[in-house]
Amino acid sequence: MSLTSTTTATRDDGPASRPGPEHRFRRKGPVHRLLRLIRRPLSLQGLLVGATVIVVGYLALVPLGYLIHDTFLSADGSGVSLDAFARAYGGDSHAGEMMLNSLWFAIGSAALALLLGTVLAYVQVRTDTPFKGLFFAASLVPLIVPGILYTTAWIFLADPSTGLLNSLLFTPLFGSSPLNIYSIWGMIWVQGLHLAPVAFLLMVAAFRAMDPSLEESAAMSGAGRLTVLRRITMPLLRPAMISSALLMFIQSLESFEVPGLLGLQNGIYVFTSRIYFVLRSYPIDYGAAGAYAIGLLVIAVIGVLLSSWLQRSSRNYQTVGGKAFRPRPVELGRARAFVGAGVILYFLVTVILPVGVLVYASLLKYYAAPTRETLGRLTLDNYRAVFTQPFALTALKNSLVLGVGAATVVMLLASIVAWVVLRTKAPGRRILDLLAFTPIVIPGLVLGLALAFVYLRMPLPVYGTLLILLISYCTRYLPYGMRYASSAMAQMSPELEESAAVSGASWFQTFRRVLLPLMSGGILAGWVYILIVSFRELSSTILLYSPGKEVLSVLIWEQFENGQFTTLAALGVCMVTLLVLLVAIAYRLGARFGLQSDSAN
Amino acid sequence: MRTTRTTTLALAGLLIAATATGCGSAVTTSSAGTKANDFYAQIAGLPKDQQVAKATEVARTEGDTLSLYTSMTSDVATPVTQAFEKKYGIKVNVFRGTSETVLQRTLQEVQAGKAGADALETNFAELMALADNDFLADFNGAALDKVDSTAKFPQWTATRLNVFQPAWNTDLVKPADEPHSWEDLALPKYKGKLTLEVSDSDWYANVTKYWLDHGKSQAEVDSLWQDIAANSKVAKGHVTMMQFLSAGQSAIQAMNYTYITDHAIAAGAPVTHLPRSGVSKIPAFPRPNGVAMVKNAQRPASAWLFYHFMLTDGQKELVKLKLTPSTKVPGDKSLQGITLVPFDVEGVSRDAAHWDKKYDALLRSAGKSGK
Repeated sequence: MSLTSTTTATRDDGPASRPGPEHRFRRKGPVHRLLRLIRRPLSLQGLLVGATVIVVGYLALVPLGYLIHDTFLSADGSGVSLDAFARAYGGDSHAGEMMLNSLWFAIGSAALALLLGTVLAYVQVRTDTPFKGLFFAASLVPLIVPGILYTTAWIFLADPSTGLLNSLLFTPLFGSSPLNIYSIWGMIWVQGLHLAPVAFLLMVAAFRAMDPSLEESAAMSGAGRLTVLRRITMPLLRPAMISSALLMFIQSLESFEVPGLLGLQNGIYVFTSRIYFVLRSYPIDYGAAGAYAIGLLVIAVIGVLLSSWLQRSSRNYQTVGGKAFRPRPVELGRARAFVGAGVILYFLVTVILPVGVLVYASLLKYYAAPTRETLGRLTLDNYRAVFTQPFALTALKNSLVLGVGAATVVMLLASIVAWVVLRTKAPGRRILDLLAFTPIVIPGLVLGLALAFVYLRMPLPVYGTLLILLISYCTRYLPYGMRYASSAMAQMSPELEESAAVSGASWFQTFRRVLLPLMSGGILAGWVYILIVSFRELSSTILLYSPGKEVLSVLIWEQFENGQFTTLAALGVCMVTLLVLLVAIAYRLGARFGLQSDSAN
Repeated sequence: MRTTRTTTLALAGLLIAATATGCGSAVTTSSAGTKANDFYAQIAGLPKDQQVAKATEVARTEGDTLSLYTSMTSDVATPVTQAFEKKYGIKVNVFRGTSETVLQRTLQEVQAGKAGADALETNFAELMALADNDFLADFNGAALDKVDSTAKFPQWTATRLNVFQPAWNTDLVKPADEPHSWEDLALPKYKGKLTLEVSDSDWYANVTKYWLDHGKSQAEVDSLWQDIAANSKVAKGHVTMMQFLSAGQSAIQAMNYTYITDHAIAAGAPVTHLPRSGVSKIPAFPRPNGVAMVKNAQRPASAWLFYHFMLTDGQKELVKLKLTPSTKVPGDKSLQGITLVPFDVEGVSRDAAHWDKKYDALLRSAGKSGK
């Protein structure tokens, strides 16, 4: 079990490390080595790490195996074939044009989200900007609002002919309506804003874990503020930036909500529109769907390899060392008012406007632009409908259980896997890293089918329970948890673990008392992210949930199918309120357990 | 060190215990399967006036529950299943999904030998797929007598119809500009005003066949479609489209289901699928949704009763919900002013891939060419 041989923890926690028997074994050479080999996996460290690796490998391999089997097996089942790729990419499928659209959309959205998320995180953690409390919760709102609602809100705001921004702001003031949401720029804008919280959460954790003494030394040596930012701060944040860019890029590549609602209008087809069509026809061409997913997988693998290559000299990023530090905020001075105004403007555009449209819609029977007449017809009926919906409470409870469960399980697994990948020299650790990333390219429906296939044939009471949804969510969000955990781990110097070991701490003690607390910023960020997105997960849920075990996303989908957009808006408003509250509680509890807080700065 | 070892042992013990409990609760349903098929054979052999009584009697032994997989929206499924529960005292567990998920879930379960659904109520294409695989059971109850022969299929029967018609915003389309035929949608006056839905290949197939059957040449049909596409933008989702139509963001939808339009009208939205005259001459294609019983079901008698219910009292419930039932029900006004023509169930299911491909190619020229 060479996975447990590490650079830092080379001692053994097992009974073999006690001096007495050790001597006896040493004399007997090969027998001793054999016993060590057997006993080491039975140590707590061995068991924990071994079990984690097995669980993660299992979670990732089930859907991947299902997908690959259907992709490469020829239609008659007789042998391996590449027909599926010909069907997917060949002929009249416009694969090239769609690929270009997809890349452009994904790069644009990821870049916009990364820029916004990083700037926001910097302002939040490292400056003395006003409105910090409001800032944090508000930054997460675009992530909380279900994609279909956020996109629709933007359609109502920026439709070229009837959008509120065009008709109420630009036309009266400037005589033109310049905003067109149905363009590639509109798509990038909506997707970028929707994803910015992913980058924000990661970057906040990274900024918090950064020792400002490096920046201070640079400033003392005469570097200007911009130089410090460019030469010290940014390079130090590379692991977190690469991680979030990778996540957001792949997520944009495979998302169909925004391209479906905004792109189709002007004939902008993306790569995933093909997967969407393939998956909704019967019989499903699993081969073609798999061929598309494998295309995405290749891109994802290149991304993961590139990111580990960019982080190859790991010492450069280890900002959490043995010395105490306290990130000190940059005093903005006269700029404080401007930054404050900028913050307010940002929230006006990304939160107040779209959520405002939703609140307005939730008070109507059907959406219509605000006039004196529609404003006179406002009603709370939609909220009444939400609260009297059958299963509303059960669904809320189930979603909470699943969200908290998936977030906790994934972050625990991811922390241990991140440790194996970054801290050990175990063979196959890179493969483990890649494997933990593969679920990101598996379409939700395929994941659902794979899990149904396996658990219908397994004599375990999993199918038809909440457990199968938990497994599905853990699989889907494992890649995200991995990125959050490994970027936090990359910032930590091994010298901390070494000192713990020298002081006689066992591996488990070191992990629990040193590593986890120091990574808590990143882990909590990942936890919050998974909690939020698991409330929305539908594509595998819709196949796997059982009567009586509904979750909120199924309810949202039902409202949508019923054609009650305004009721859906009411449900969305309730969700935003609830999740903002939950996140606030999570961070308040985090602060109690030693998580650094920015409010004291 | 001792604590470590104790924890290790405890962990290992837990793992073993968990595995053991898991394995202990293996489920086998093969015996339920033969039982179900025996019941289906038995009830089919009874005189028709004794079938309901027999099914009710056997349903008592099945625990008075029914597992239904359906693509009825919840505002329909809830009242319909409540009416069934009230009538037969059988509690219904409803799995609601898209018709595709209903199909995939049923397929997965049947192939694994663990039928989770007793009865299905979903779109025709998915029922055809299941019937082709012989996964459904035959029904020969008296309820079929009231059903038109065009609504009866091997192993399933139509329960309700989703009717294809254009829909428009009455603020944006004046009476003089209302469409009166599918051909009208190709007129240059609708340039930039029309919306096509991305998955409507079944509508495309039916209109194309209708035109070809009514004397148009393939070239004429192709040219009409090119002009319609040139007038159009593409959108996704009938419900979403109706939202934007109500809000006045689009003027006309080439096709939406009349019940979606009717629901929007009921909420007060300025939309319609009927011209001011109240009578539409546009050939309306009714796409059937149907009911079926699953072979190897765990509760076949309850499934049989649900099938029977959906073609009798259930039809009245559908009318109350302003849907279009598949049989003639007094008080049904959903087809008022509509000119029904046959929907090509067989052709659309057989050549689905072909129509998908052609429709997709057409959409790619949307808004681009034209006069």
